[in-house]
Amino acid sequence: MITVEGLQVVFGRTVALSSLDLTLQPGVTGVFGPNGSGKSTLLRVLAGLLEPTAGRALLEGAPMRASDERFRARVGYAGHQPGLYARLTVRENLELFATLHGVGAGRVDEALEGLGLVPHAGTHAGALSAGFKRRAAVARASLHEPDVLLLDEPYANLDDDAAELVSAVIMRWRGQGRVALVATHGAKRVKAYASGSLILQGGRAVSHRARAPAEATT
Amino acid sequence: MTAGLGTAGQRRAKGAGRRDRRGDPSRGWLAKTAALARKDLIVEARGRDTLPPMMAFALTVTVLLAFTLPDGARVDAQVGSSAGSAPIADVLAGFLWVTVLFAGLIGFARTFEVERDEGAIDVLLLAPLDRSGIYLAKAVANSVFILGVQAVLLPAFAVLFSVRLGLGLVGVVILADVGLVAIGTLFASLAAQTRSRELLLPLLAFPALVPVFIAAVELTSDLFSGSRLDTVASRGWFGILIAFDIVFSVIGALAFEYVVE
Repeated sequence: MITVEGLQVVFGRTVALSSLDLTLQPGVTGVFGPNGSGKSTLLRVLAGLLEPTAGRALLEGAPMRASDERFRARVGYAGHQPGLYARLTVRENLELFATLHGVGAGRVDEALEGLGLVPHAGTHAGALSAGFKRRAAVARASLHEPDVLLLDEPYANLDDDAAELVSAVIMRWRGQGRVALVATHGAKRVKAYASGSLILQGGRAVSHRARAPAEATT
Repeated sequence: MTAGLGTAGQRRAKGAGRRDRRGDPSRGWLAKTAALARKDLIVEARGRDTLPPMMAFALTVTVLLAFTLPDGARVDAQVGSSAGSAPIADVLAGFLWVTVLFAGLIGFARTFEVERDEGAIDVLLLAPLDRSGIYLAKAVANSVFILGVQAVLLPAFAVLFSVRLGLGLVGVVILADVGLVAIGTLFASLAAQTRSRELLLPLLAFPALVPVFIAAVELTSDLFSGSRLDTVASRGWFGILIAFDIVFSVIGALAFEYVVE
């Protein structure tokens, strides 16, 4: 469970997040809102990559900070940029992160297959189309089956078939106690399997609903 | 096969299988560090963005310096004016280390460039690896680059200035490189977070590098002028170099975490 208490993030004169109080239960929460509503900022704070101006985010009572190695082992994050090394192949990228997370090579093959990346496994990440980069980023973020999965626009630049693959990976990832936040403009896709939704506007939560897990599409 | 393991064996096998899927991030600091260093070297081998500019700079400067010395100058000669003179060995040692220093800065400035592409810095910082591992991996890659430059630069000095290259000089080079890389990598990580990193890096690194630079020049000058290694060692500069290497390496590994946060 993730608890967000009085979270505020200010960049200069711009208030990105304002007095956000949330409790995110295990399951997938879709994060929706227009451009500049604070979706990406919220995900960066929850990943521990951005120190909030005020307030805090807690994972099972412990602060969510990237400086904490145990927390880093539990989080998977794919931001706006794919976070891949352009001159390594897709397989080499995943193998590198598998080594860093202490994951066996079998997971790399699973991740490649799950996102339809096998034909592109030997392609340099920098030579991939935007859609394939996005798929590879999701593969990288979910490679170590993290307890907290944070995906920022995972459906960007994806065709319908690829979007289905991403949804399938997220649905397979779900498990006891795991929390995912999926920020997207494509609310319809995420609502099909999400157990909760959060709508942000101007850095404030204008709606936060949690469905019982049984209500969520399995 | 699993049945033969018994209940405890099955539990262990099941646990191992789970680790294979979910990972055991606390293990393998060295393997993770080696994987990161290997990544940087592969990226450089494919892109050749760092080493060729460093080498080109070092060789160009060396050739230009060759034109500034008197014709037929030898390492035991003196250069200077009526106000004073210096053995040419001192001048060449200074040339060598100034060239290495500036070539090194070209490489250090690019330390985190590979992470800037495609936003890989965020995911690198989220890897469950002690920050000292990232620092060491970057330092190893920088060491390979600077040694690569010296592998070309030292023979060029031997050809252009008739200096003798021996094992003593190799020892000085390796010891000096440890200090240069330890400081260069640390300040590169600091400068990488700013827009004016190419300007900031020398401003930060030069003052800290002065002790290593002076020790390296003194030792190299003695060796260029033909002093025996035991005579050179007795002057104490080796001790100073080793002491600064240890201090800078420890400070770099400890401070890196706070610099990247």
